[in-house]
Amino acid sequence: MIITRAIVRIATTLVLMSATAGAQTPPPARAVPGTASSTAAARDISGFWALSIDGRKVPQAKLLPRVTKAMLDLHARQDVHAIRWCNPVGLPMMMDSGAIDIRQGPTTIFMAPESSLVPRYVYLNRKHISTEIYDPSTSGDSVGAWEGDTLVVDTIGFHPTHGVTSIPGGGFRTDKTHLVERYRLVANGDVLSVRFTWTDPTVFSAPHTYEFRYRRLPPTYEAVSTWPCDPYDQERAQFLGDPAPFRTEKR
Amino acid sequence: MNRIFVATLCVFIIAAAGRSRAQTKPESLTGVERLEGDWVRIDPNGSGDFGGLASTFTPASLTPQGNAAMEAGQRQAAAPRGPAFTENSRHDSGVPYIVVSRPCGAGPFGGGALGINPDSGGIHFVVHKDEVIFAPERGGFRHIYMDGRKHPDLTRWTPTASGHSVGRVENGELVVDTIGITPGLVTAGGWRTVETRLTERFVVSPDGKHLTINYRWEDPAIYQKAHEYHYEFDRSPAGSYALEYWCDASDPAEQESVTPPSQ
Repeated sequence: MIITRAIVRIATTLVLMSATAGAQTPPPARAVPGTASSTAAARDISGFWALSIDGRKVPQAKLLPRVTKAMLDLHARQDVHAIRWCNPVGLPMMMDSGAIDIRQGPTTIFMAPESSLVPRYVYLNRKHISTEIYDPSTSGDSVGAWEGDTLVVDTIGFHPTHGVTSIPGGGFRTDKTHLVERYRLVANGDVLSVRFTWTDPTVFSAPHTYEFRYRRLPPTYEAVSTWPCDPYDQERAQFLGDPAPFRTEKR
Repeated sequence: MNRIFVATLCVFIIAAAGRSRAQTKPESLTGVERLEGDWVRIDPNGSGDFGGLASTFTPASLTPQGNAAMEAGQRQAAAPRGPAFTENSRHDSGVPYIVVSRPCGAGPFGGGALGINPDSGGIHFVVHKDEVIFAPERGGFRHIYMDGRKHPDLTRWTPTASGHSVGRVENGELVVDTIGITPGLVTAGGWRTVETRLTERFVVSPDGKHLTINYRWEDPAIYQKAHEYHYEFDRSPAGSYALEYWCDASDPAEQESVTPPSQ
């Protein structure tokens, strides 16, 4: 009888220890501010993020006198054309629409808005590719580095005409444009603040800075992986006001 | 007798508790991080073209239902897609004709189809503990969820070119389970439906320079036995990066009118 009781006591202790250890295994729901784990969490902007209607704070850009209304109108028309033909939109529009999946790996941060099938890469392990060999693109060549709890992303190498070129607040990107983005988690990690600063000696008379705040979507969020875009849908083309076949306009 | 019963019960309870703990423990990504970076598919047998790349694969063994589905799919693929779509027709020498009447496709770049069947374009992986990104360079990308979620109910799922993928780590290798892909052809005489299950195993060589993706398609309605083959990739040289694939459907140059030379 004594032996039986001892066995039961030992077994109960082992089960309780086992259960306690199991309960400790899942990762903490939220990192404690000021700790090493909070630093690691603050340095990972991965997640599904959505830009809500109250998440944009965009002042008017200060443009050079040489930037005429005709130039702005031309870029606006070209933007419609790019959207109508389902071209890659690139920056800045890809950061300004729908939900965005951001995944931070050891060497690269991947950013993919649901409304575009062409993603963006931010490299954490290299400097800019030489402009001698880099083919300009709609999202440019982006490199990033952490400064404390802020991810600073530096982008050059924009294509002057491909994609949607207009910039929120006024102006447009060219092959001389330089963008610096500062990503920071706020509101205990539930909000991603991104401050965009655009400079371009041919467009802006002063650096143009604005801030977007993205809300974190639930971890169970399922990405929409196919966004319908049919460049041959004539009804859609009529709606967008760009039914004409391709033509080149002089900038 | 009583003692033996109690002891057996204790052993059972301890084992069950231990097993439960093992199941709730977050899986380590150790080893899978080596997948991160840029890769390009290679032709290990010197086949010379994409038809040749698959020529050594064991052809799929289809059920009668699978055969019927594939033949119907092939007929649909071969059907004329419009009066200007004439690339398969005869052309008089010296007369220009259109090669592709609708370049870039509808819903550009296939929505991740190249992540299921990579071509000669580069592929890129970004590895995070909750999700691995598999991005073919010519457009689209796959979300491979690593956070333990299950597949959605297919009755509430809109099929996509790359389906719904969940991944796990086995012996330092990424194993991905996918369902919910749009119906279509599979390499080496296969066919897939929304219910067809694809299991991929991503094996990085010890030196980190070579990647093998093993494919296994299973569907009792389509296949008499699992359909298996593998693709081989080399890591791109240091300093490589993802190129932007630009295809403007409005640009007549994308249609590449061809004038057959005079004989």
